[in-house]
Amino acid sequence: MLVLQGIVDGILAGALYALMGSGLTLVFGVMEVINFAQGIIVVLGAYFTYTFASHLGVDPFVTLLLTIPIMFTLGYAVYMLLLRPIKRDRVIMSLLVMYATAVVIEGVLDLVFGGTLVEVTASYGTSSVHLGSLDFPNVYLLAFGLSAVLLAALFWILYHTKFGRSLRATTQNLTAAKLVGINVDHVSALTLGIGVGLGAAGGMLFGMTTPFNAASSYDLISRLLVIVILGGFGSVWGAGVAAIVMLVIEDVVAVVWSPVWGQTVFYLVLALVLMFRPQGLFGRRLARAQ
Amino acid sequence: MAVAEAAPELLSPAEIDRAFRDPFSPSKRTRATSWILLLAVLTAFPLVFTNPAVTSIGVFTMFFLLAVVGWNIFSGYSGYISIGHAVYYGFGQYTVALLIMHLGITSGVSELAIVPLAGLAGAVVAVPVGLLVLRVRRHTFIVLTIAVMFIFQLLAFNFSSITGGSTGLNVSPPPWSGNDYNLPFYYIALGTAAIGLLTSWAVRRSKFGLGLLAIRDDEDRAKGLGIKVTRTKLIALVLSAFFVGIAGGLYAIFIGQVFPQFAFTPFYDLYLAVFAFVGGLGTLSGPVFGALLLGPLQQYFELQFGATTLYLIIYGVLFVVILLALPRGIVPSLADRYRSFLAGRWRRAEERRGVAGSGVTAGSMIASAPGAAPAERGGS
Amino acid sequence: MKRRQLIGRLRATGPRRRGAVLVTAAAVAAMAAPALGVGTAAAHAARRDALHGVVTIGASVSLSGDFSATGKTTQQGYEAFQTWANEHGGILGHKVVFKFLSDGSSPTQVTTDYQKLITVTHVNFLVGPYSTLLTKPASEVANRYHMALVEGIGGGPSVFEAGLHNVFDVSASAIYQGISFAKWVAKVYKPQPVAYAAITTPFNEPIVTGIKKYLDSKGFTTAVFKVYPLETADFTPIASAIAATHARIVAIGSQPPDGEGLIKDFVSSGYNPTVLFEVSGPDQGTGFVKAVGKQNTTGVMWPNTWYPGANEGVVNTEMEKILEKEIHVKSVSLLSANMAEAFSAAQTLREAVDHIKSLTNVKLIKYMHSSSAKFTSVQGPVCFKPTGQNACARPFVFQWQHGKQLQVLPPTAPGSFKVMNPKPKWGQSKY
Repeated sequence: MLVLQGIVDGILAGALYALMGSGLTLVFGVMEVINFAQGIIVVLGAYFTYTFASHLGVDPFVTLLLTIPIMFTLGYAVYMLLLRPIKRDRVIMSLLVMYATAVVIEGVLDLVFGGTLVEVTASYGTSSVHLGSLDFPNVYLLAFGLSAVLLAALFWILYHTKFGRSLRATTQNLTAAKLVGINVDHVSALTLGIGVGLGAAGGMLFGMTTPFNAASSYDLISRLLVIVILGGFGSVWGAGVAAIVMLVIEDVVAVVWSPVWGQTVFYLVLALVLMFRPQGLFGRRLARAQ
Repeated sequence: MAVAEAAPELLSPAEIDRAFRDPFSPSKRTRATSWILLLAVLTAFPLVFTNPAVTSIGVFTMFFLLAVVGWNIFSGYSGYISIGHAVYYGFGQYTVALLIMHLGITSGVSELAIVPLAGLAGAVVAVPVGLLVLRVRRHTFIVLTIAVMFIFQLLAFNFSSITGGSTGLNVSPPPWSGNDYNLPFYYIALGTAAIGLLTSWAVRRSKFGLGLLAIRDDEDRAKGLGIKVTRTKLIALVLSAFFVGIAGGLYAIFIGQVFPQFAFTPFYDLYLAVFAFVGGLGTLSGPVFGALLLGPLQQYFELQFGATTLYLIIYGVLFVVILLALPRGIVPSLADRYRSFLAGRWRRAEERRGVAGSGVTAGSMIASAPGAAPAERGGS
Repeated sequence: MKRRQLIGRLRATGPRRRGAVLVTAAAVAAMAAPALGVGTAAAHAARRDALHGVVTIGASVSLSGDFSATGKTTQQGYEAFQTWANEHGGILGHKVVFKFLSDGSSPTQVTTDYQKLITVTHVNFLVGPYSTLLTKPASEVANRYHMALVEGIGGGPSVFEAGLHNVFDVSASAIYQGISFAKWVAKVYKPQPVAYAAITTPFNEPIVTGIKKYLDSKGFTTAVFKVYPLETADFTPIASAIAATHARIVAIGSQPPDGEGLIKDFVSSGYNPTVLFEVSGPDQGTGFVKAVGKQNTTGVMWPNTWYPGANEGVVNTEMEKILEKEIHVKSVSLLSANMAEAFSAAQTLREAVDHIKSLTNVKLIKYMHSSSAKFTSVQGPVCFKPTGQNACARPFVFQWQHGKQLQVLPPTAPGSFKVMNPKPKWGQSKY
């Protein structure tokens, strides 16, 4: 029973991580950029929700109408200003540039919000749905629902729009995409915008499930990176499955053994999987040498 | 790449290296003089700026210098960017703390005497870690090193009977007075960094080092040319872990405590990579320059602007600007500019003398040098 | 032209440059940049003990990084003391000025910060940073200069195990905090399984292990002991595991967000222990009420030496007023215990200095260790063991009862109310 509850907890939390991680893996797939700022992006999204919800007095979900466009623009601008100029050592250089960006955002958040832990609250936040002896906390159910909706929207964009086709083409072969006349910079900037927007949406849910401040971003990014690597960098499906698998394993270990070991196992699983499948669970391409 | 292709010819690696050396880079003697001068300046520094607040920044800078030089032997030369060297740093810290505790060492001198064992511990743990993480490449490697680092941090929390868990371990620091305390740490770190730099230089000049560079350029081809890639990478990692382990051991004694979250810290990993990149990855002097510039700058910013939390913004912006303006790092980028300036001047002089007819000029020689490789690798 | 010849020619005619000299020169400049001031060895102590118009007190606080939330409240506590002291004649009749540096929650920066405070700023006295993790390196630096480090937020055992003579903790140390509770449980309940959980910090975990050790010795057993990392964001697995044991007694070494988080999970899963003890969370005043709902607060217990609105006399009321004004809180009950802990440290320091009538740290350390040294802080009485722990700290336990925070343990202590036992079921307490 306890294990079952652990599985339920893991699936619900996993959906949230899938949403936060989808932006990370999408961005990597298109432009080979490890967006090290995704953690602070999530926190930034949470702060936007917190600010709008408390100042405008609206439901947290409504704030997404403001948050997502703002964050999308931010993502687009960051690509154009900071990532496009990078010509060599793209993987590591973009990681460092995004780390520096994260440091700046962290500094701004510390300056504005002063580090006090805050939480996005909603009236329906503290209750849960009971099913037999299992609990389904409302917040997580909503998170699950929103994650599903947004990820479905993402898939629709990827597979049913012209932009989606350009994006997938760029993921598969950058040079060929350029040759057939795709404006790769534009596609990349839009993708970063979408990735950042998804992160911000995840941030709203993150802010509803846990108190946070700017420093919360460091733990988030390391967990998101593990999930994305496990799923296979660039694979949105993979990230989704990996998020749920990882969180279920972690939560089950936490309930039957100990939370510290739960987190240890989280990282150990990655190490073990990569020993046998270096490209991750759903990664198609083997990483090239250079 | 050029090196690997040329190998079947008659020239020895050292000869090729010499032959492809950029004629506009400083001569051997100039370089040696510069290094000695730098060493002299660093040696004199705490004797001139005696305030312990300054020398304590100096000590942390030397710790970073030592570690970055070590980090560069592996990551700089092999191109495998490790963001997990805190594993060896933390191992060094715990080794020293546990030895001091269980052997009941109290005198400062004998505490410092066991620091090499911290390096050894780092080197030993690098073998299994390396066998695991070196199976993957590029971005997967980067993330896996972070993950392994967190595994070690969590294990330090978990095995509390050995590590003290969250309560950490106490190291009683040497009973020296405030004004004398910093100097021994400073000079030991500086000395070890110098040894690290010599090692780095020796690696860079050896056949083993060429193997590493070949791996960086194209691992599959390096393998095809008969380089034992796994062994080469692993040896470099072990060497590199040794120096980082020593930095950890010194740090533990200097600070007087070891805690899991500070021993195995992701920030340390990032700092090493950042310092090396800003200075110039894979060059001999780049990481030195990066550590000497950013190490104190970061502490200084925090001291000056920390109370207003502006320092993160300043530091971050500065960092972005350096990365975008000098993408290859300060040393190689500036050296490039200086070199093309010299080459231009030399070419103009040659033209004036009317020898341009020979068809080959240093300028075109540089231009055709594959990827300006010598500058990037040779180290200025 | 053969390649080797060409290369030979190039090498022969290529210019020789001293580019690397530039590198060296720049490095020198880089090293010289942070030169904050030069002082001779003997000068520091003399300048520190001298009065420069005002009495300066130095502290490093964490304004960014992991402790940025609590680092800020620590600073606010010190600032409130500065205002209060200057309204009441300062120290030895001189104005008090605090010098703050930020440490970014890092032990490296804490070391540099205290170095600078001592040898560049030449502050007269030092008070502690936030958390056990940073107090130890800070006290090591202070010790090298024979300076006292008076602190209120570094009570983990590692601070006192170092054998330093200069560190003074005015709050109750970690080990003490849970003992009143453990004694009461052993007296009131028959031996039975107890559920424990603790966050891995050097302060919280020892409190719970202390309780466990005591109860184990009285024949109680451990139903479950969950140790969870600082980064834990999702508490449902821990709550589920504790609920599954059906233990009637629960003791948790929590910090603010997780204390509330676990209660929320207990409520939503309908698990009702009869005794619920949390190290921190319930002490957050209105923040706690808001987080868990006021009908769920009743019966929850926590250890502390201070709580908002505590009946600790005039100074406490004045401090609360200052804090209310300076940080614009809507209600006194929103004040955090960190503020009082920081305030107490500075308050104790002031009392001691006013007593010895000297700015000399060596005298201060000697006096604070003497058996006659007894102080009164907003947190209650203070006196020091040789290790630096507060031997006079009152290991009080508080309980929420019908929306009020009441002192309940030790039962015989003056001002103690009766413990509400068993704790009413969630949502069933009346107002």
